[in-house]
Amino acid sequence: MSASTHSPVLKHHFDNLEQQHSAERLGMWMFLVTEVLFFGGLFCAYTAYRIWFPHEFEFASSKLILWIAVLNTALLITSSLTMTFAIRAAQLGQKKSLINYLVITFLLGAAFLGFKAFEYYTDYQEKYVPGPIFQKAYADAQHDLTHGHHPEHSPAAELAEHNAGKQPGDAGYLSPQRVQLFLCLYYIMTGIHGIHILVGLGCIAWLVLEAGLNRIPRENYSTVEVVSLYWHLVDMIWLFLMPLLYLTGAGLGKH
Amino acid sequence: MQTLPLLLERASTSADRFEPLFWVITFITAGTSIAVFIAIGYFCAAYRRGAVPGPTPRILGSHKLELFWTITPLIIFLGFYAWGVYIYDAAMVHSAPKDSMRVNVIGKQWMWKAQYEPGGQRVIVGGNPANMTDDERKSIGALVLPVNKPVIVTFISEDVIHDFGIPAFRSKIDVIPGRYVETWYEPTKIGEYHVFCDQYCGTWHSLMVGKVRVVSQDDFDQFLQGLTDAQAPGTGGSVDGSPAWKGQQIFRQLQCSSCHTNNSVAKAPVLENLYGQNVPLTNGLTVPANRDYIRESIVNPQAKIVQGWGRAPDGGSIMPNYRVGPTTDASKATITPEDLENVTTYIQGLKKGQTIPRNEHFPTPVNAPGNPAQPATGSKP
Amino acid sequence: MSVISAEPKALGPVPPEPETPAINYLNNNYGIWSWLLTTDHKRIGILYLLSLTVFFTVGGLAAGMVRLNLLSPSGAILTEDQYNRMFTAHGVMMLFFFLIPSIPAVFGNFFIPIMIGAKDLAFPKLNLASWYVFMLGAGFAIWAVLAGGIDTGWTLYPPYSSRYSHTNVVPGAMGAFISGFSSIMTGLNIMVTIHKMRCPGMTWGRMPLFCWALYATSFIQLLGTPVVAITLVLLMVERTAGIGIFDPSIGGDPILFQHLFWFYSHPAVYIMIIPGMGVVSEVLTCFSRKNIFGYKAVAWSSVGIGVVGFLVWSHHMFVAGISYYSALLFSLLTMFVAVPSAIKIFNWTATLYRGSITFQAPMLFTLAFLVLFTVGGVTGLFLAVLGTDIHLHDTYFVVAHFHFVMVGGMVLAYMAGVHYWWPKMTGRMYSDFWSKASAVVIFVGFFLTFVPQFVVGYHGMPRRYPNYPAEFQIYNILSTAGASILGLGYFMPSVYLTLSLFFGPKATANPWSATGLEWSIPSPPTQFNFDHVPVVVCGPYEYSIGVDQLGRTLPEPPEDGASLVKKETDVVG
Repeated sequence: MSASTHSPVLKHHFDNLEQQHSAERLGMWMFLVTEVLFFGGLFCAYTAYRIWFPHEFEFASSKLILWIAVLNTALLITSSLTMTFAIRAAQLGQKKSLINYLVITFLLGAAFLGFKAFEYYTDYQEKYVPGPIFQKAYADAQHDLTHGHHPEHSPAAELAEHNAGKQPGDAGYLSPQRVQLFLCLYYIMTGIHGIHILVGLGCIAWLVLEAGLNRIPRENYSTVEVVSLYWHLVDMIWLFLMPLLYLTGAGLGKH
Repeated sequence: MQTLPLLLERASTSADRFEPLFWVITFITAGTSIAVFIAIGYFCAAYRRGAVPGPTPRILGSHKLELFWTITPLIIFLGFYAWGVYIYDAAMVHSAPKDSMRVNVIGKQWMWKAQYEPGGQRVIVGGNPANMTDDERKSIGALVLPVNKPVIVTFISEDVIHDFGIPAFRSKIDVIPGRYVETWYEPTKIGEYHVFCDQYCGTWHSLMVGKVRVVSQDDFDQFLQGLTDAQAPGTGGSVDGSPAWKGQQIFRQLQCSSCHTNNSVAKAPVLENLYGQNVPLTNGLTVPANRDYIRESIVNPQAKIVQGWGRAPDGGSIMPNYRVGPTTDASKATITPEDLENVTTYIQGLKKGQTIPRNEHFPTPVNAPGNPAQPATGSKP
Repeated sequence: MSVISAEPKALGPVPPEPETPAINYLNNNYGIWSWLLTTDHKRIGILYLLSLTVFFTVGGLAAGMVRLNLLSPSGAILTEDQYNRMFTAHGVMMLFFFLIPSIPAVFGNFFIPIMIGAKDLAFPKLNLASWYVFMLGAGFAIWAVLAGGIDTGWTLYPPYSSRYSHTNVVPGAMGAFISGFSSIMTGLNIMVTIHKMRCPGMTWGRMPLFCWALYATSFIQLLGTPVVAITLVLLMVERTAGIGIFDPSIGGDPILFQHLFWFYSHPAVYIMIIPGMGVVSEVLTCFSRKNIFGYKAVAWSSVGIGVVGFLVWSHHMFVAGISYYSALLFSLLTMFVAVPSAIKIFNWTATLYRGSITFQAPMLFTLAFLVLFTVGGVTGLFLAVLGTDIHLHDTYFVVAHFHFVMVGGMVLAYMAGVHYWWPKMTGRMYSDFWSKASAVVIFVGFFLTFVPQFVVGYHGMPRRYPNYPAEFQIYNILSTAGASILGLGYFMPSVYLTLSLFFGPKATANPWSATGLEWSIPSPPTQFNFDHVPVVVCGPYEYSIGVDQLGRTLPEPPEDGASLVKKETDVVG
C-alpha cells in the first residue's frame, strides 16, 4: 500500500475514496435521522397541546409577525437552491463558482438569522415573551381595563381585552398560561432551529475557506454534499415550523 | 425482629384476583427457568472438555426447535396477557358498581387527606406530622372502609405526583396534580393495612404512609356518625365533619357544658354513657334514653325531667327551652333541625370521660347578651 | 429442516504464532497528549474503560451507602435528604455514565473495527470528540452531585423536578443531556463502520454476533437519545424560566414528560442489555467449542428487540393515568418484546449441547449471566402483565427485576467481556484462580442481594424509602449482607487485573483459540490493526472444524487454567 496511489484527501483508514464518501454520506444521513427525532419530541409536545388548547394556540399564533416568516421562508428555500448549485460547481471543479454559490448561500442564511433576530426584538418590544414579562403586561392591561383606561397596545393587552368580563372556564375565555405555553414552544423551536442555522453557517464558512485553499478537489465534492444534506434538513424543518407556528392563527379574525 | 408471612394478606376482591395469576406466572416461569438451569448444568457436566473425545459436532441450529421455542413462549405470554387484562379491567373504575360509596383523597407533600361523600367526614390518612397544621395533626387516623362494600375513590394531588398504594388490596394509582383519577376497592377482610406513597415525591416521601382500616358495616355506620373513634382507636374522638363532631361544636357553642359537666358539681344530669340507659323520671316512670328522648329533652326539657333534677323554683328543669328555628342561637334559644340532630348524635356517642370540659375561659357565645361583637372561635362546623 | 451451510474445508497446519511486534498501539507513542489527542479507536476504548471504572466506583459507593442506610427501618446512617440524593446519584451515575456507554464505548470502540477487518472506526475524530463530550457531561453530573446533590431520582419526573426540588436538577439534567450526544456519536460511528468498512468476505451473515448486537444498539442510540435530549431541554427551560410545559399548575401536562422520557429510557435498557448479549454469544461459543445454535435467530432477535423495544415505553406508566386502551396495547406489545429474549436464552443453552466446555473466568461470568438474566427476564413478565403490575409497580420487585437484568445481566456480560478480551487489549494474562473466584463471589453476592428484594417487593415495600415498616427489616439486612459480598466481588478484579498489567504472563495472539479476526492479530494489536487487508472466508464460529474466519486452522484450545496457574501462583500467591 504505497501512499502514492492515494489521493491526498483519502484518510488512512479507508480503502478508497468511494468508501470514504459513502461512509461520510451515510454518517450524515444518520445524523439527520437523530435531528428529525430531536425535533420530533418538540413536534410531539406541540401536537399534544395544540389538540388540547386549539383556541389559545390560534390566538397566540395570530400575534406573530407573518411577513417576516414568509420572507424568511423564501430566503431559506432560495439558499437550498444555491447550495445545490454549489455541489454542481464542486463536481465540475469550478472553484470560483463554488465559492460564489457558497457565499450566496451563506448570505441568505445570515439574512434569515438577521430577520429572525429582528423578529425576536420586535416580540420583546411588544412584551410577547413568556414568563414574568408577559404576565406583567397582562396584569397591567387587566388593571387598566378595570379602571376604564385604554391599555398600551400589545398582544397581552389584546388578550386581556378579549378576556374582559369572562371567567376561567367561560366559553371563549383564553387562558394566558396556555398562550404562554405556545410562546414557549415557539421560542424553543425557532431558537433551536436558529442554532442549527448558525451551525450550518459555520460549516459553509469552513467550506468557503477550504475551497479557497484548494482543499476541495473534484473527487472530494462529497464534502460539499454532506454539508448540503444538513443545510437542506434545516431548511425542511423550517418548512414544518412555519405553518405550525405562523399559519395556525393566520386567518384568525380575518374572515 | 418481626418477619413477614409467606403470603401477603388478601383484603380485597382485586387481591383475590391478583393472587392466582401471580402464582401461576411464578410457577410457570420458575419451572421453565429451573428446567433451563438444569439443562445448562447438565450440559456443562456432561460435555466438559475431555468428557467426549473428538471434535464437537457442527450443529448450526434447527428451525423446528427454534420455531417451537418461539411460538410456545408467545402463546404462554399471551395467556398471561389475557388474564392480566381481565384483572386490570376489573380493577379499573369503570368496573365498579354504580351504587358504590364515594371517597375523595387528596395527596400533598407529605400527607393524605380523605373526605367521605356525601357526609363530608374528613380524616388524615397519614403522612409526616411535621408537615401538618395543628388541626391536621389532631386528625391523623386511617381511611376507614366498610367490609364487602365497593367504594370508588377519586384522587388529586395538590403539588407533585404521588401514588396511593395499598398492598393488601393489590392496588396502586398515581395521584396527579391538575387531574382527577379514580379507582375502586371492595375490601373483603376486616383489619388494618398499610397505605404507601409509591411515587417518589420528595424529602419525606417515605413518611407519606398511612393506614386503611376495614371495619364491619355497623362499625362503619357508627364511624360515619362519629359515634366511634374507628379512624384512630383509643383517641375517643369523632371523625371530623361527622354529625357527632358537628354536634360537639354546637354543644360548645351553646355552652351546654357549663351545666352538663361530668362531675358532681354539675347543675344538670351527666350525659356520659346516657344513650341506651333507662332513665328514672320525677313522675316515677322510667324511659329509655333513645334519640327521641334526647331530642325531646332539648326542645322540650319540661316534658320528662330526670329524677332529682327538677331544680327550678317551680320544680321543673332549669334547662333553657330551645325552639327549632332557622338559626342556632343561644340568645334566642333556637336551634336548627340539622344541629338538633347533630347534638343528639353527639350525646348519643358520649362515653365516660369524654364530655368537653366546663371551661370558664371559653369565649362567650356569639351574640350572647353583653358581648355581641366577639366572634366565636372553633364554632364553625 | 435443519440449517446446513457449506462447510469450510479444514486446512493445513496451525499457522505460526505471529511475531509479537515491538511497537503496538500502547507503546507507539508516549505522553499524556498521545492519549488525550489520540484518534486510535483502541486508545479511545481504553480511555472509556478507565473513566467508566471511575464512574462505576462512584455509583457503587452510592449504592453501598443506600444499602447501609437500609439496615435500619428508620435509616441507619443518612437523613432522608441525604438518602434521596444518594439513590439519585447511584441511578444517574450507573445509568448514564456506566451502563449506557459501557460495552459499546469500551468493547465496541475497541473491537468492532477489528472484528470486521477495518483499520479504525469510520470517523475517528468524532470518536475522540464523543469521549470529550462524555467527560463533559460526566463533569456536570459530578458537579451536581458534589455541590449538594440531586434528589429527584434519575427519572426526573416533573413537576417535582421542575418546581419543587431545591437541588441541582439543572446541572444533573445537563450532564445527562450532554452525555447523550456522546452516545449518539458512538452509535453513529459504529453503525456507519459496520455498514461501510467491512473487509472483503465479511458479509452480514458472517459477522460475529457481537457486531450484530452493537448494530441493533446503535440503532436505538440514534433514534432514542435525541428525544430524551429535547425532553431534558424542555425540563431545564421549565425549571429555569418558570414556564409551564409539564407543570399542570401553569398549563402543562406531567404525563407528557413521562411519555417522552420513557420513549428513550425504555429502549435505553436495551442499549444496556443487547451488547451484553453480543458478548455472551462470543464467549459461549468459544468456551464450548461450538457453532452458535441458530445464528440468524440470535442475530435477528437483537434487531427485533431493538425495533419492538421502541413500541413498549408506556409499560412504565400502567398506573400513571394513561388511557385504558393504551395500557392494553402497550402490555400486548411488551409480550412480543419478551419473546426474542426467550429465544436467545434457549439458543444459548442449545449451543452448550455436545460442546467441549471449559470454565475459565469469561465462561463463568457468561454462565452466571445466563442464570441471572433468565431470572431478570421472567420477573419482567410480572411487570408487563397489567394485572400483576398494578400491585408490583414501584416496589422493590421492580428494583430487583431491573438489577437482575442490568447488573446480573449487563454487568456480568461486561465482566465476561473484560476477562475475554483483556489479553488482547493489554497483552497480559490475569490470574486464573482469582478471576474464577471473583466470578463465584459476584454470583453469590448478587443472588443474596437481590432475591430478598423480590420478597419485600411482593409484600409491597415501595422504592426510594429510607423509612420502612419494621417487618421488612430482616430482608433488608440480608440484602445489605449480599451487597457487601458483591462489593468484594467487584473489588477483586480491580486488584488482580491491575497486577496482571505488571506481573501477568505475556498473552499469545490467540490465548482462547477463538475464531474472530481480533484473535488473528498480535496481542496487543498494532496501531492500524492489520498489516494486510484480511479476507474472510467463513462464518464466525467454526469451532467444530477448527478454523478461524480467515480459514486458518485454530491452535489447540487451552486446557482449563492448567498452563497459567503455575506461573501466576508465583506472582499473586
